[in-house]
Amino acid sequence: MSRLSLVARVVVLATAVAIVVGIVVASSLIAILSLRHAEERESQTQEVTTATLRVENAAVNLESALHGYTLTGNQRFIGLFNQAKDAAPRSFNQLERLLPDDPAQLQQARRARTFLNQYVTDYAEPVIVIRGIDPQSARSQVAGTEERRLMAPVRTSLANILNVEQQRSTDRRAHAESVARNAIIVGSVGIVLCVALVLLFGAWVARGVAAPVRRTSAAASRVAAGDFDVRVEESGAGEVGGLVAAFNSMTRSLAHGREELLAQNALLRESEEHKRDLITMVSHEIRTPLASVIGFTSLLLEREFPREEERRYLEIIDQQARRLGGIAGDFLDVQLLEGRGLTLDRAPFDLVELTREQADLFFAHSSHSLDLDLPDAPLVVNGDRDRIAQVIGNLLSNAIKYSPASAEVHVSLHAENGGVELAVADEGIGIPEDDQVRVFEKFYRVPDAAAGIGGTGLGLSVAREIVTSHGGKIDLESQKSRGSTFRVRLPVGGAA
Amino acid sequence: MTMKRPRILVVDDEQPLRELVVVTLGEAFVCDEVGDGEAALERLSSESYDLVMLDVMMPGTSGTDVLRKMREDDELREVPVVVMSAWQSPQDVARALEAGADRFLAKPFRIDELGSMVRGLVGRSE
Repeated sequence: MSRLSLVARVVVLATAVAIVVGIVVASSLIAILSLRHAEERESQTQEVTTATLRVENAAVNLESALHGYTLTGNQRFIGLFNQAKDAAPRSFNQLERLLPDDPAQLQQARRARTFLNQYVTDYAEPVIVIRGIDPQSARSQVAGTEERRLMAPVRTSLANILNVEQQRSTDRRAHAESVARNAIIVGSVGIVLCVALVLLFGAWVARGVAAPVRRTSAAASRVAAGDFDVRVEESGAGEVGGLVAAFNSMTRSLAHGREELLAQNALLRESEEHKRDLITMVSHEIRTPLASVIGFTSLLLEREFPREEERRYLEIIDQQARRLGGIAGDFLDVQLLEGRGLTLDRAPFDLVELTREQADLFFAHSSHSLDLDLPDAPLVVNGDRDRIAQVIGNLLSNAIKYSPASAEVHVSLHAENGGVELAVADEGIGIPEDDQVRVFEKFYRVPDAAAGIGGTGLGLSVAREIVTSHGGKIDLESQKSRGSTFRVRLPVGGAA
Repeated sequence: MTMKRPRILVVDDEQPLRELVVVTLGEAFVCDEVGDGEAALERLSSESYDLVMLDVMMPGTSGTDVLRKMREDDELREVPVVVMSAWQSPQDVARALEAGADRFLAKPFRIDELGSMVRGLVGRSE
C-alpha cells in the first residue's frame, strides 16, 4: 500500500470521495421524492375529505329538508329536499372517482350510497307522501327507528372514510419526517466522511512524499559534503520510491567511482614513491663502488706503490667497476623484463665449474667462510652461461650481504631426477614469513634489511625471471634470525 | 722517533673501502679496521684510538648507533669521529652531526680531502 504511486493514490481518494458524495446525493434524492409523493397523497386525501364532507353535507341536507317539511308542511323544504337528492349522487360520484385504487374506502363509500339511496326511496319519499295525507302520522315517523337504521350506516361509513384518510395523512407525515431526518443524517455523515478522507489523504501523501523527500534531501546534503556512504531508506509512493532508489544508486556509483579514483591515486603515489626511493637507492648503490674506483685510481695516479700492491688496487678497481656494471645491468634487465622478455643465448656448459668460479669471485675478498659441496664430475646444462652466472652471483652476494662477517655460507650442487639443484644457505638475518613471497617482487626489500644494507631490490626478481626462462624453479626456505636457503632447480637439457 | 703515530679505527662493511682509507692515510697513522658496528664497539672498549672513521649503512648495529653509544660513554665521548656515507642528503648529514659526528665525508670522496680532514682532527686533538 505504501508503494502505491501518487496517481494511484489520487485515484483512490477521488473514488472514495465520489462514492460518499454519491451516497449523500442519492439519499437526498430519495428524501425529496418521498416528500413530493407524500405531498401528492396529502392533496388527494384533502380532496377525498372534501368529497366525503360534501356527501355528508348532502345527507344532512336531505334529513333536515325532510324534517323541515314534515314539521311545517312548507313547500320550500321540498325544493331543498330535491336539491339535496340531486346533489347526493354527484357527490358520491366525485368521491368514488377519487378512490379507484382503494377498494376498502370505495366499499365504504358504496355502502353509504346504498343506505342513503334506501333512505331516500324507502323512507324519505314515502314520508313526504304520507305528510300530504296524514301530517300527524308523518310527524311521528320523523326521527324514528327506521330513519336511524338507514342513516346510521351512512354516517358510520363516511366517518370511517374520514378516519382512514386522517390516519393515512398522519402516517405519511411521520414517514416523510423520518426520511428527511435520515437524509440530514446521511448528509452530515457524508460531509464529515469527506473531510476525514481528504485529511487522511493529506497524511498519506505526506507520508509517501514529504518524509522520503525530506530524508533524501538531508542525504543529498551529506553527499554534497563528501559522505558517499549515506543511504536513504527506500520507502514512499511509487514515484518517490523510484527517486530514492535512484538517489541510492547514484551515491553507490559515486562511492565506487571515488574508491576507484583513490585506489588509482594510491597506486600512482606508490609508484611515485617507488621511483623516488629507487633514485635515492641507485645513487647510493652507485656511490659505494664508485668511491673505491675513484679513490684507488687517484692513489695510483698520485703515489708510487710496489708492483704487487699496484696490481691489487687495480683488481679492486676492476671488481668495483664490474659491480657498477652489474648494477647498471640489473636496471637494463628490469627494462628487459618489463619489455619483451629475456632472450637466452643457450649452449651446453659445466655448472660445477661455473659455481666454483662464482664462489671464488665472491669469497676472495670476503671475511665469510665458504662451505662448498660440489660433485666431482661435471654437470652439463644447456642454458645461458652468463645469465646462470648472474643468478649464482646474486645468491652468493645476498648470502654474504645478509649474514654477519665470518659466518659460514653453504653452497651445494647435485644432480636430481632429470635436473640439477643448486642450494645457497646462509646463517644470516633470515626473511620473515610475510616477506618470503615478496622478495621476488621487483624493487621489494625486506624493511628491516633495507634499513642497514644497500641493494636495489632487483637481484632476486631478475634471478627468478632467468631461472623460469630456463624452465627451472627458484624457491626459498627461511627463518628470521636463523638464515635463509635459496634453491634453484634447472632441467639439464633446458627448456626448448 | 719524533712521537707516537696516531691510531685510527676504520669501520666499514665494504672491505675495498676500508682498504682505500687505510692506504690513503698511509704510513703516518696506525690503522685498524673492522667490518661492522658490534666489532667496532668491542674494539673501542678494549683499545684506545685517536680517531674513528665510521660508515653509516652497515648491517646490524649502524654507524649512527655506534656514534650515539660512543657519545654516551665517558671514555669515548671526546674521540673525534668522521662519518662516511653514500647517503648524503642534507637530512643524512644533519642526522650524523646531531648524533655527534665531527665531520661528514660524502662517498665518493677525494683522497686529499680525506687526508686533510683526518690530519686536522688528529692534530687538534693532540
